[in-house]
Amino acid sequence: MSFIPGQPVTAVVQRIEIRKLRQGEHLILGFSIGGGIDQDPGQNPFSEDKSDKGIYVTRVTPGGPAEVAGLMMGDKVMQVNGWDMTMVTHDQARKRLTKKNEDVVRLLVTRKSLEQAVRHSMM
Amino acid sequence: MASVNNSINQRDSDIQKKIDHEIRMRDGACKLLAACTQRDQALEASKSLLTCNTRIMAYMSELQRMKEAQVMQRVARRSSEAGPTDDRRPCKGKVAISDLRIPLMWKDTEYFKNKGELHRCAVFCLLQMGGEIHDTDMVMVDRTLTDICFDNTIVFNEASPGFDLRVELYSCSSEEDYSAGSTPRKLASKLSSSLGRSAGKKLRAAVDPGAGSPTGGGATLLLPVPAVAGPKYHLLAHTSLSLAHVQDNFRTHDLITSGNEECTYWVPLYGSVCCRLAAQPDCMNQQMMSGCLKVKQLGGDPQSSTNVYGVLKGTNLSCYHRQEDIESNVEPAFTIAINKETRIRASEKDPDSNVQSISISNLYGGEEVTHTVSADSRQETHRWMEAFWQHFYDMSQWKQCCDDLMKIDLPSPRKAALVTSKQGSLYHEMVIDTAGDIGTVTDILTRRMQELELRSQLGTSPPWMSLFAESPGRQRSPRLAGHSPRTPRRLPRSPLSPSRCPRPSLLSSDASLTSDSDSPCSTSPCSRHGGLAEPLSLPSSRFRPRTLSLDAKLSTLRGRGYGGALQCSCQPPTSSLTPIPAQRVSQATLSCSSSTSSNSSSEGRRSPESLDSSPFSRPSSARRSLRSMRAKLDPRNWLQSQV
Repeated sequence: MSFIPGQPVTAVVQRIEIRKLRQGEHLILGFSIGGGIDQDPGQNPFSEDKSDKGIYVTRVTPGGPAEVAGLMMGDKVMQVNGWDMTMVTHDQARKRLTKKNEDVVRLLVTRKSLEQAVRHSMM
Repeated sequence: MASVNNSINQRDSDIQKKIDHEIRMRDGACKLLAACTQRDQALEASKSLLTCNTRIMAYMSELQRMKEAQVMQRVARRSSEAGPTDDRRPCKGKVAISDLRIPLMWKDTEYFKNKGELHRCAVFCLLQMGGEIHDTDMVMVDRTLTDICFDNTIVFNEASPGFDLRVELYSCSSEEDYSAGSTPRKLASKLSSSLGRSAGKKLRAAVDPGAGSPTGGGATLLLPVPAVAGPKYHLLAHTSLSLAHVQDNFRTHDLITSGNEECTYWVPLYGSVCCRLAAQPDCMNQQMMSGCLKVKQLGGDPQSSTNVYGVLKGTNLSCYHRQEDIESNVEPAFTIAINKETRIRASEKDPDSNVQSISISNLYGGEEVTHTVSADSRQETHRWMEAFWQHFYDMSQWKQCCDDLMKIDLPSPRKAALVTSKQGSLYHEMVIDTAGDIGTVTDILTRRMQELELRSQLGTSPPWMSLFAESPGRQRSPRLAGHSPRTPRRLPRSPLSPSRCPRPSLLSSDASLTSDSDSPCSTSPCSRHGGLAEPLSLPSSRFRPRTLSLDAKLSTLRGRGYGGALQCSCQPPTSSLTPIPAQRVSQATLSCSSSTSSNSSSEGRRSPESLDSSPFSRPSSARRSLRSMRAKLDPRNWLQSQV
């Protein structure tokens, strides 16, 4: 999913709504993220384009709220509750997902299989 | 006719009661405003005053409208014996707006302006639909904020599909001097001379009585007192949202701004507002019709028809075997879709029972499937047809809201306590928080050195210990707080067992998250790892005067040959103190010795794997912040965070 700086990015996205799970005083979603504009994109095992500095889902805890909501490993997170995730630092991304006063996060994620499915259906 | 009058009178008195209530609230707000001394209180009171006033105006205009309608109706009735003006009305619904966010666009000169105080404004939103007016909480805005965020979710309960939701943003400068009288000229001229020339000119123009309106004039600081004693909010921007803007997603809408840079209440808006506007029409989440039905599927066994209890709700006609199944949450026997593509018509009377039936046709994946549904009596059938027509009408009116049920989350009451005052400020996110301060890190490093000394004395040091072979005495010197065996502050929850392991047990890197029951550690030698030291038992927060910057600290450490080689990371021994098998030891040494090459990519990625041990446990916040700081400082890592 390469992009040209300054041009709008288009992607086929899926909406995923995750209800956080409360564990004591923590609210957890049950997945791990990697990436960010301050990270080295060459080390991202999930991205197609090795210059993509977006936020990717690197692990989904089995049985956790994220898996239940349909999040998959390798998904690229585009938006969280309306906030953009394509141009954020790693810490900003983590913070946007772990706001204490939000019980639900609505993500827009994209994955290769979605694009392929759309392409196949158009043929 | 009498019932209509009664209902109107009822509504009349309801509104009257509401008006009285608001007038009382308004009086209270005025009194509070006059009495309060703190600026925050004054701003809050002024906000309540504005809201009350707006509500009163809305109620009075509704009262007016109702009276007019009453008169019109009476006139109409007198003029013509009109039958029931039975225009079909669409069902009502709930409309919720949440996650309001208004991006700001500060000029770069604002960011780097060092003179003068931070110009702050108090803002809030007023949301109005019909007669219902809600206000959001007040937010203080200054140049460190990139977006104004309102966390409130506001639900309007009796919305019709043609609703008009007006969003208004009010702001008020929070630096005005509200006290009566004193516009200290001297102060004004002093300030104007210390400000830049153009700002000073504006200020002088404002204070100068020859200038235009006293509230304008671009003065961002002192102003003469406004008409109402106390801060006054002004409309900064507004927009109107309607059914077309409803989506189960976040969307950006344009704002119409009023006011300009010269106004005191000006906040540089980017010009749009992002929010989530969701609607739940009643037809989607309430039972619109229910009753006993006989259902036959066309193309199936022609004689068999099933007796079911049908419930029309949302986009489905759910057919249960028995009525009681609904309460006991049993799945319906089958479901017939009722959506925009469904076709329903009354079919001819069944020759046997002489009752009209209704046929419902849907297209399931290219194939047309028809169900024939009949009720017990003619009235029932009629009622069902009526319900279906109403349902179709509702769906045509509510449009995209009827495709699927949109979720409306009501905020949990717990939230209020946890909201911090700083919202998403760009600059605050770049600060390393105090729990992970450098002093803590160097303490840990030095403590680690002490342990390594001990280990070397025990004679079981691993091969890479030679790197640390310099005299341990040297590293004690830069410690800021000079007390030597430092006892870590006890974590409130952890059972600390201060005993040290008698054996050299090498533990794998940083799976230190398992619990807060850390024993201060260890005797374990450290495995190399990308980044700075992972603490063994990290006290939750230590406040110590810091005088050295991070760079200075790192350079002093590096000078002593640590640099990238000093990567200590240990897992605190579990309370059972199980000895680790020898294999682990060799594995760790291998990884240590290879660390000189920049292999930390794999190590960086390996680190979160050990989080698998307990999927839902989390590291203590202090450890997490230290880890994140360590990872931030080492660009070779591809950082992963568990959320």
